[in-house]
Amino acid sequence: MAPEQSPPGVRIRGLTVAYRTPAGELPAVCGVDLDLAPGTITGVVGESGSGKSTLALSLLNAVQPPGRIAAGSVEIDGLGDVVALGGEGLRRARGRHVGYVFQAAQNSLNPLKTVGKQVLDLGRSHGVADLRGLLADARGLLDRMGLDGARVLDSYQHELSGGMRQRVGIMLALVLNARLVVLDEPTTALDMITQATILRIVREVHAERGLTTLVITHDLGVVAEVADRLAVMYGGRIVEQGPTRQVLAEPRHPYTRGLLRAIPRLVGDIAEARALPGRPPTLADIPADGCVFRERCPLRMDACETGSPPVVTRGSRSAACHAVRDDEGDRPAVAATTGEDQS
Amino acid sequence: MITGTGITKTFRQRGGVLGAREVPALRGVDFTIPKCGAVSFIGESGCGKTTLGRIIAGLETYDAGEIVIDGVAMSSLSHRRRQPYFRRIQLIHQDPYSALNPTRTIHQALAAPLALRARQTGRPRSWTDERARELLGLVGLDPDYVLPRYPHQLSGGMRQRVVIARALTVDPEVLVADEAVSMIDVSLRLGVLALLKDLRERLGVSVLFITHDVATARYIGTDGELYVIYRGQVVERGPVETVISAPVHPYTQALLSAIPVLHGLESPGEQRVVPLEASGEHPDGCLFAPRCPFRTERCENERPTLGPAPGQEGGTPQEHACFHPERRSVVAVPVSGR
Amino acid sequence: MSVPVVPEAGGAAAVRRNFWRGVWRVMRRKPSRMAGAVILVAFAFMGVFGPMLYPDPLPRDTNALYAPPSLRHPFGTDFEGTDVLALVVTGSRYVLLTAVVTAVITVVVGAGVGLFAGFRRGRWDTVLMRLTDMKLTIPGLPLLLVLSTVWKFTSAVEMGLVLGLLGWGGVARAVRSQTLSLRERGFIEAARGLGLSTTHIVGRELLPGMAPYIAMNALVAVTGAVYAQVGLFFLGVLPFEANNWGVMLNLAVFGGGALTTTAALPYLLAPLLAILLLTLGIVLVVDAMDEIFNPRLREE
Repeated sequence: MAPEQSPPGVRIRGLTVAYRTPAGELPAVCGVDLDLAPGTITGVVGESGSGKSTLALSLLNAVQPPGRIAAGSVEIDGLGDVVALGGEGLRRARGRHVGYVFQAAQNSLNPLKTVGKQVLDLGRSHGVADLRGLLADARGLLDRMGLDGARVLDSYQHELSGGMRQRVGIMLALVLNARLVVLDEPTTALDMITQATILRIVREVHAERGLTTLVITHDLGVVAEVADRLAVMYGGRIVEQGPTRQVLAEPRHPYTRGLLRAIPRLVGDIAEARALPGRPPTLADIPADGCVFRERCPLRMDACETGSPPVVTRGSRSAACHAVRDDEGDRPAVAATTGEDQS
Repeated sequence: MITGTGITKTFRQRGGVLGAREVPALRGVDFTIPKCGAVSFIGESGCGKTTLGRIIAGLETYDAGEIVIDGVAMSSLSHRRRQPYFRRIQLIHQDPYSALNPTRTIHQALAAPLALRARQTGRPRSWTDERARELLGLVGLDPDYVLPRYPHQLSGGMRQRVVIARALTVDPEVLVADEAVSMIDVSLRLGVLALLKDLRERLGVSVLFITHDVATARYIGTDGELYVIYRGQVVERGPVETVISAPVHPYTQALLSAIPVLHGLESPGEQRVVPLEASGEHPDGCLFAPRCPFRTERCENERPTLGPAPGQEGGTPQEHACFHPERRSVVAVPVSGR
Repeated sequence: MSVPVVPEAGGAAAVRRNFWRGVWRVMRRKPSRMAGAVILVAFAFMGVFGPMLYPDPLPRDTNALYAPPSLRHPFGTDFEGTDVLALVVTGSRYVLLTAVVTAVITVVVGAGVGLFAGFRRGRWDTVLMRLTDMKLTIPGLPLLLVLSTVWKFTSAVEMGLVLGLLGWGGVARAVRSQTLSLRERGFIEAARGLGLSTTHIVGRELLPGMAPYIAMNALVAVTGAVYAQVGLFFLGVLPFEANNWGVMLNLAVFGGGALTTTAALPYLLAPLLAILLLTLGIVLVVDAMDEIFNPRLREE
């Protein structure tokens, strides 16, 4: 593989991931279409139960039983359809093509081995011939992220702070030269200042190494800081997506609007902020039919009770809401139903 | 009213061969929680804010200093006599999952402290059920739905409301909320914050809010007071809105600069301060000096103490502990037109 | 739950009713659990009412010593011509009573010591745990052998008492470590902050969380006790006064030569089968304990 390739693009089409439960098979992710353009950072925002972590796992075809990818495809440039991949090919793809920084990466290191040993383990399991070179790469990456690489490689997990561990997690995801990186909740449980540092590093490393990056988070602020594009998930569906600044400046879906209003801010009138009523749905009570957000929606109408709202795409933005289609009908709405035509 | 002076606490960590290592958690902290007030402690994890909250709630001992509750100095009382005073200060845990017993229904969780209360105040037992329903109503829950349920059947936000209702069973004067919304879904956080604010207004309880997220501190009350704590020392103190809009201490500025900007809605503050990676430590110098971009030689040799902010006379509300105070505007401002 | 006003103590009643409904739901989830429960109920029935079905002393048929299994004698007869099935049934009372007494003592003493040590910590903890360690190092069987030379264990309760007092160490240690981890949980601290009594905290807040654990230990103690006493009687260190499974095994092996001839084989197998069935019943039911005492798993 030549290092100077263009970063990979990802096309997710009609992805449905279902979990087997006592109440039958329930979809945690339902008919999701999402493109990660080469060289961009995409942020996926959602609350608990929105299916965002499941979506991230699907990128590696790593959904664990009782869950399974029930339908759809995940096309990654240079890899093909990951859903069709299995066994050895899949294992090699993880790490080499797709780097994954796990949720709570702060606690996902092996406590009994030094960081250097874990880099070597990773290298061996992927058949890297030049292990010395790999360690040098690892040190270089850590140095780049503002750490003393040599010392960190010689350290055990407990000798590192939360922010340092997070950077080690990012290093492990990148050291095999993966060009597609998935960060699941990269800053949860970190302090504000550490979070800002990590986000800056994510941005810089992304640009320097020419990556395609997916950031999964519950925090709109995190996405606002790093992402070019933003996808908002609710109840297993992407309800709105578009360029980050545009979506934040002019949210269309009532959930996005509500979420933005519900975030405590440093300035402005606190009386304007309002919590969303109700609670986010769990896997068991996502409505099977109709709009998933209708229970908490201020714009609820009859049409919301039956049939998923179609994804309305306008330019680079799209939203899935009956009300949006109706009150912004100035431009022709191109209705694209979920995941039927695939390339 | 609750005041603390010179609260000091040192943890002894069991070290390696060299034996115990002393870790100062609090280095002489003064604070005042006025009646019906809103006080927030902010800082990074490990700065001592949680320890201070637990000390105020009577769940942790302190090495030096004095806490005065309603004019009674705690050091003058025996352990047993102190308990009723500390009961007026109730801690709301960060994690509503561990704060409720998973094997007991909400009814059971509320009935036990209420039964105790009924006995103390000579009320009939039937009062407990009535009161449980009243309290749940007060925190915005439907008693019929919540009472027979187990904690796992409720959402994080509902659970935290139950925890608050349980704290209210003893008619406290102060609620100490330690990161009370950090484990709750984003869309529900504001509801819990609004509830705490509401309880201040309706019941006259004070709220002591402990958090690393300055933005949430505002929602307990814009009339509140902010204490910025760095490594066990209060480095800045003042009214919430003043500290946010015109912070004086570089640490406060760094903390506020680090809050994500909602690009598109807001534009970043002009004078954002990015702290340095810590290098070395100055045993007698300012605690923040190793990370401070504005440090001078004086900062490395002398430790500043809390004093009035520039442009204000003595005894004014905003105070700081910095040799080179300068107001900087670091907070993101809304894009005009919105 | 259509009535909006919860009557006095109505909440608690509702919870209790729900508990048994939940238990039923948990048991129904796996057929094996129901089978285990049926076995245990059958044994309990046998222990309580079984001996009433037979005359005392049991009739002997001197014409049919070591008779092979037949319709009249499903497990044959013993050396005196007594029906083996009747012996197993009448002998069950002693065995089961011992087992129950042992389980109760193991659990009560073990949980009590463990809770107290774990909750109080400090000096009490050190003393109690040293005591427990000392107790754990005492080898049970040799001590029993020595004890049996001076004590005849004619009543099942005495036997159970001794076995129970020998067996609580493990439970105490385990309950203590559980207590130590639970007491750091927020709800215990909250209970203390609310001024609730220690009795309440230990009995109502801590104990329910350990219920599955304690129940499992109680059931395992039952099997342990059955093995221990049957073993003692089998070894012949205890007198043959009581009708007893262990005595039967002893007589079958040493008196009837069941290991060399086939005549006494049913006599040997019958009590073994009873022990096996009882163990099986317990193993099958233990599996349900976690779900029964954990509201989350129970209500699902």
